[in-house]
Amino acid sequence: MIKAKHHVLPFLLSVMTFVTDVAIADNKLSAWSLKGFGTLAATGTDSNKIGFYRDKSQTQDADSGWGITNDSQLGAQVDWKANESLQATVQWIARDHAGNFFEQNLDWAFLRWSVQDDVDIRLGRLGVGVFSLSDYRNISYAYPWIRPPHEFYSTIPYYHIDGADITKKFSIDDGYLSVKLYGGYSYNQLPTQTSGIHNQQSPATGANISYEKGAWQARLGYTYATITSNPPIQDLLTPINSPLFTQYWPDIKQLIPAMTMRGKEYHFGSIGVAYDDGIWLSQMEAAYIASNTLWSPPRSSAYLSIGRRISTVTLYSLFGIAKTFQNDVNVPNPLVPNPALLAYQQQFSRILNNNGINEQSVSLGARWDFYNNMSLKAQWSHYWLGDHNGSRQWQQSVDNTTPNAVNVMSTGIDFVF
Amino acid sequence: MSCLRVLILYFNTMKIFTALLLFFFTAGKSHADIVVIGNLKNNLQSLNSVQVEDIFMGRTRSLPNGHFALPVCQSTLRPVFYQKLTTKPIEQINAYWAMLAFRGQISPPMEFPDDNSVLSIVNENRDAIGYIDSRNVNNSVRVLLRLN
Repeated sequence: MIKAKHHVLPFLLSVMTFVTDVAIADNKLSAWSLKGFGTLAATGTDSNKIGFYRDKSQTQDADSGWGITNDSQLGAQVDWKANESLQATVQWIARDHAGNFFEQNLDWAFLRWSVQDDVDIRLGRLGVGVFSLSDYRNISYAYPWIRPPHEFYSTIPYYHIDGADITKKFSIDDGYLSVKLYGGYSYNQLPTQTSGIHNQQSPATGANISYEKGAWQARLGYTYATITSNPPIQDLLTPINSPLFTQYWPDIKQLIPAMTMRGKEYHFGSIGVAYDDGIWLSQMEAAYIASNTLWSPPRSSAYLSIGRRISTVTLYSLFGIAKTFQNDVNVPNPLVPNPALLAYQQQFSRILNNNGINEQSVSLGARWDFYNNMSLKAQWSHYWLGDHNGSRQWQQSVDNTTPNAVNVMSTGIDFVF
Repeated sequence: MSCLRVLILYFNTMKIFTALLLFFFTAGKSHADIVVIGNLKNNLQSLNSVQVEDIFMGRTRSLPNGHFALPVCQSTLRPVFYQKLTTKPIEQINAYWAMLAFRGQISPPMEFPDDNSVLSIVNENRDAIGYIDSRNVNNSVRVLLRLN
């Protein structure tokens, strides 16, 4: 793994040089441009009893065996400018994502119409902009950390939406205010606790307002989504609907409405502030996500990061917290205490009560901009996992004996070209 | 062992060569001013540094006269230009532009390799705005701002 880096780095440098040469080969304005970004990172933990996911769209977790798929990705973007007010953009990223590798990794494919110099309308596949970093989570080069704050971003593994957005910019008091409205249809393939992938479909609409002045930025966001699909819960429904259960355990059917997702709702509300004067940088966000689905209970999360640049090195710290609010799901008793039914009861209870989040962390890290479009990062994170912390952000061992603290270490190289 | 000696000799030679190159490259260039230039057909007479910064940082897409701006960069001068304009080093500028470009908001200014190519682009496009070494400016373009 380490050896591979020595071969990859010169290769990437030569590719970048080639692309740059092509771009400036003639002295004409080109309608086309090709850009790219990537991260080559290794991530590992100090425990084999629990696996770490960057977010739950991923299929591979990292444990003490380390892995390079958690935080590595390679993206390319092609822009085509028809004229000064019409542009097309396509962005595709190679990364670990459940489901269709080509379709799920296509994050942007849209037409942008600049109606006026301060009004943009975009139509097509767009990055999801629920929180501040949502639509550039994969561009690790653009932020100080090795990955977006885990407590905040790992619970929203949605990357794109097919629809439209409109942004209007106002110049106010030496600053810029942006108001954005968006709506569309989101199709995300996500791994589940039961066997199979949830082809999650949900119409979503939202708005955000952001204000930028000097070193300061502030942002308010709200998104509303309804789910129009069900997770693959056939493994649970088949026994529940069987004649045996109907006869000896009729109350179990009460759980079915809670287990389905179709018709359930999400409300995402967030507030964020960021400061960057070139030397000091700080960022915080807080969010509340309301929902009425058992698989993704209502939760609040927040993070605060403070960093200091010393020449080309940025030292940073990051604190995060996330907690769900949901009472335990009580699985009713069977009429007959048959051992097989009691085993099922235990299994149902474990699966249905494994969706909570109770996580806090502190991270320390460094970013070194060793070249003008490349940076080297290293980060240590210590996670405290409380009661009811389930499988929404972690891979748990089969016996469910999860540790209550785990260290996650990562190092990687980011680049843009 | 002899391989190692050849390698050491090679690296030492390269070090001296690089130092000499750097000396000749930076000598005489370090104090050059940068001028921001526009097209003669554009009725824009001058810009202040805040207006130039807003355009080259992608905060606005238009010139003060309402036209869509077409900013272009000169690759070699780019780090010095942004340092003078924003006081930020080029790594921070690149990270900032990566954030804007890869979230599909606005494309960064196109880059051209030298002053001559920037001069010809600005000369050929009414709403182009670029920057070059002040010693290479000629009467085919209008100087909108001098950065020193």
